[in-house]
Amino acid sequence: MDWLEALLPALAATTQLVWLVPLLPLLAAAAIVAGLLLRRFNGDAGEPVIAAMASAGALGALLLLLVFDLAALGGAAFEPLVFGEWLRIGAIPVRLSFVLDAYSLPAATMVALVAWMALRFSATYLHRESGFPRFFLGMCLFLAGMLLIVLSANAVLAFVGWELAGISSWLLIAYNWERPLATGNALFVFLASRVGDAGFVLGIGLAVWSAGTVEWVWLAGDGSMSTVTARLLAAGFVLAALVKSAQLPFTPWIARALEGPTPSSAVFYGSLMVHAGVYLLCRLQGLLLQVPDLLALLAVVGLTTALYGGLCALVQSDVKSALIFSVVAQVGLMFFCCGLGLFWLAAVYSGLHAAWRAYQFLLAPAYMHLVRRPARPLPRWLAAQRWCYTAVLQRFWIEALANSLLTRPTLALGRDVRALDERFIDPLVGAPRDDEPVLGTDASDQLIRGHGLAGRALFAFANRLQRLESRLLLSGDGALSRVLRRGVGYADAIESLLEQPRYLMLMVMATLVVIL
Amino acid sequence: MAELAAWPLLSILLALPVAGALLTGLLRRAPWAQWIALGTAASTLCCALLIVAAFDRADPDFQLLDSADWVSGLNVRYLVGVDGLSLLFLPATALLFCGAIVAGWRVRAAASPLAPGLYFALLLLLEAATLGVFCALDSILFFFCWEFTLLPLYFLVSLWGLGAGRQAAAVRYFLVMLAGGVPLLFGLLALVFGQAAGGALVFDLPTLLATPLPESRQYLVFLLLLVGFGVKVPLVPLHTWLPSLAMGAPAAVTALLVGLKLGAYGLIRFAIPLAPIAARDLHWLLAGFGTVAILYGGVAALVQSNLRSVLAYASLAHVGLVLLGLAAFSVSALQGVLLQLLNFSLAAGGSFLALSFLQRRTASTDISQLGGLLRSMPVLSGFFLLFGLAGIGLPGTSGFPGELLIIVAALHTHTGAGLAALFGMVLAAAGFLAPFRQAFLGPTRNPDVADADDLLPREVAVLLVPSLLILAVGVYPLPILELIRPAAEAWVAALAGL
Repeated sequence: MDWLEALLPALAATTQLVWLVPLLPLLAAAAIVAGLLLRRFNGDAGEPVIAAMASAGALGALLLLLVFDLAALGGAAFEPLVFGEWLRIGAIPVRLSFVLDAYSLPAATMVALVAWMALRFSATYLHRESGFPRFFLGMCLFLAGMLLIVLSANAVLAFVGWELAGISSWLLIAYNWERPLATGNALFVFLASRVGDAGFVLGIGLAVWSAGTVEWVWLAGDGSMSTVTARLLAAGFVLAALVKSAQLPFTPWIARALEGPTPSSAVFYGSLMVHAGVYLLCRLQGLLLQVPDLLALLAVVGLTTALYGGLCALVQSDVKSALIFSVVAQVGLMFFCCGLGLFWLAAVYSGLHAAWRAYQFLLAPAYMHLVRRPARPLPRWLAAQRWCYTAVLQRFWIEALANSLLTRPTLALGRDVRALDERFIDPLVGAPRDDEPVLGTDASDQLIRGHGLAGRALFAFANRLQRLESRLLLSGDGALSRVLRRGVGYADAIESLLEQPRYLMLMVMATLVVIL
Repeated sequence: MAELAAWPLLSILLALPVAGALLTGLLRRAPWAQWIALGTAASTLCCALLIVAAFDRADPDFQLLDSADWVSGLNVRYLVGVDGLSLLFLPATALLFCGAIVAGWRVRAAASPLAPGLYFALLLLLEAATLGVFCALDSILFFFCWEFTLLPLYFLVSLWGLGAGRQAAAVRYFLVMLAGGVPLLFGLLALVFGQAAGGALVFDLPTLLATPLPESRQYLVFLLLLVGFGVKVPLVPLHTWLPSLAMGAPAAVTALLVGLKLGAYGLIRFAIPLAPIAARDLHWLLAGFGTVAILYGGVAALVQSNLRSVLAYASLAHVGLVLLGLAAFSVSALQGVLLQLLNFSLAAGGSFLALSFLQRRTASTDISQLGGLLRSMPVLSGFFLLFGLAGIGLPGTSGFPGELLIIVAALHTHTGAGLAALFGMVLAAAGFLAPFRQAFLGPTRNPDVADADDLLPREVAVLLVPSLLILAVGVYPLPILELIRPAAEAWVAALAGL
């Protein structure tokens, strides 16, 4: 290995280019958008160009990472790499910092490799699909996001990747955007993942105020952090991890996420994104080890999800659904490992699992041709327990429960709020509405109508005044009424002038001048 | 830049649209009136950019001051100036007006028997008044500009509005805003008379800021100003004019109204710094109004049936977040607030401009009339998606840093409200993506939608500029935040020093 040692300084120096790794796929995405805007991709001729750009982005990232791997194998020790400041929260800088360590390097290499292969696969799989550029755009965005999650050394940059992965998964699930089912599922998945994102932001916020940093390495603190703070801080990130990895009770979204094209399902839910939660937990192990009760919770949730996924996988009737539930089950076991404190095991496990599942999912469309046997029947013990079978088939009603507990009340609240606006606030403020029924019988020939509380009060006051005035007129002698009548004539003339917009404008301006 | 700063740039900035308005108003029949209008708006934008260039970034004070006597007996002066808090609103305003003018290109003649030049003249008058609000440093001049925005808006809405409800919407907006002007005026007067114990009346902001009010008077002033600005912000019980105006006004005009959050600016510039003790005492009021607006707007946006009212309620939720950030009284939160306000100018303004292009093609923005827009108008859909994602604070757009700064600060100072804002994040995503799904995705149902053409090059240009800015700020937000920082630090220090 002499040659490696000779090369080591040069290899270690290349780590200064780590920012290029997430940037390359992002550039590929930008190029695709630019091409779409300039209408450069026409039909079949455009396809190889798009595929080549996307693959080049992924391959470039992969090659760079392989060079870093080589340096790491040679024994180079990497410092955290910082490339300037991105944002500042109060006095706390959020830096463009990347970490290359035993967790991030293998994970990033795996991400780039799987994504590159999936991109190559898709170039032929999606041939002559109308959404060809859109698919590659989503994949490139996803790859950039995933690499950011894995490589970033701080929570904010990881969150940027976290959300990029979320929105690109929305883009790809809604790939067949003319089918309402696909877009509905995409919406469902994005909203579910948004709950996890809220948890992530909560974690960032608490990290800023309790630990005074957003860098992963210092997040664990120096041991002086109180258990309560540490628990709160970790809870936000754990919520994010649970959602992203589709652990209970957030599992239902992942079954709906399979609506997208198969290569994207393979990459997102089969292989890479579903492991992001596990990776986040590994990053946070210093913090998590301070809160044993949260670890216990993770172990319980992981084990339950493993059982749940395993049971549901048994009754699925299509390949992708069966695969996805067994993915969930395996990831549940990884969470169980994390809960036991075996973070290294979870990391190794997730790497092996990701590689195998990527292969399995990419094969899924051809599976029926490869397997000549009939589908495996239901295990006898499950078939015998009818209620249990129903429960599994209904996936334990989690989705229905969420629907009736969260979605429907929120929508009902929305309708209430709209009714509140229309029935109470509008009338109170006094807003004319087109559909308001005319009050009284002679209301239509009145010049003005009072609206709302303020308007009605004013209207009543004006009526009272008018009555007073007419009584004065009736009871007074001729002279007074003549003078008044002439005055009224002038007033009428002035009023008719005032009704014209330009005089109204003048009057308002004059009022303003007087005020000033 | 010293020689540039010696020019009366702000007065030129205000005079340009006024002159353009007079010219287009006089030549209103001429077919090239719109070119004059566009030229004026573009040169105003250039002037605003010159002001940004001439601005000294390290100085937290008011700069580029320009003054003249106005009503000398009352000591009311024409006094304009900018600081880091107001600076970036000037180019944002000028940019949005350029967009609105292009959005009104040539179609006004067909849509109405009135001379098309009049439309542009009114728009330019509105631009002058809006810019005046952002750079007025005399409270009476501010109030004058504030109320003067109503006139052009009234005629723009009532003459060129959409649907049968446009007259009602215009009258309603006018009346509600006039009513809001009353507490505002009384608040300013209470402020001025509270200060002038014996001496001459003082109306100019720098002096008012330097001499604090007696504490008992501050509560009165703060509450009056809060209500006065709150009508425009809008605060929740006073908000119903916004959806009705969004439905009645031409979409390009709504872009200006929703994109330029004058009410929030008024709170930052006048209400809070002039009554600091009261503001700090009543921080729960601001946070409360903010939380209510976030949840109310977020929930109400879910059940709207028209894209324009969806965006109106989403904008209610946006200002809720801004109020919550203001209640934190910290530098990072204020930076977040200003960045968020600028983001909304780009994102909400851009969305409404896109809707005005859509309205022209499909004659409706009603969700039930749309569906499948992506097939016939992919470029428009793409822009609308980007603006919407910036509105819900997706990383990579300018919406993210501001939202993050505000929520992080709020989690510290008002934890409950911060958690509500986190819930608001989820609501906002639902409130944008669910209508987007129904209107832009799915099968095409309406023949008008199927036959519609995609954006013209000039329309692409109008939407491309804000999109690029959204992405640029989203990718690297630090320069803008640093530009705001000195003034924000001074603002917070003045509050904390009491």
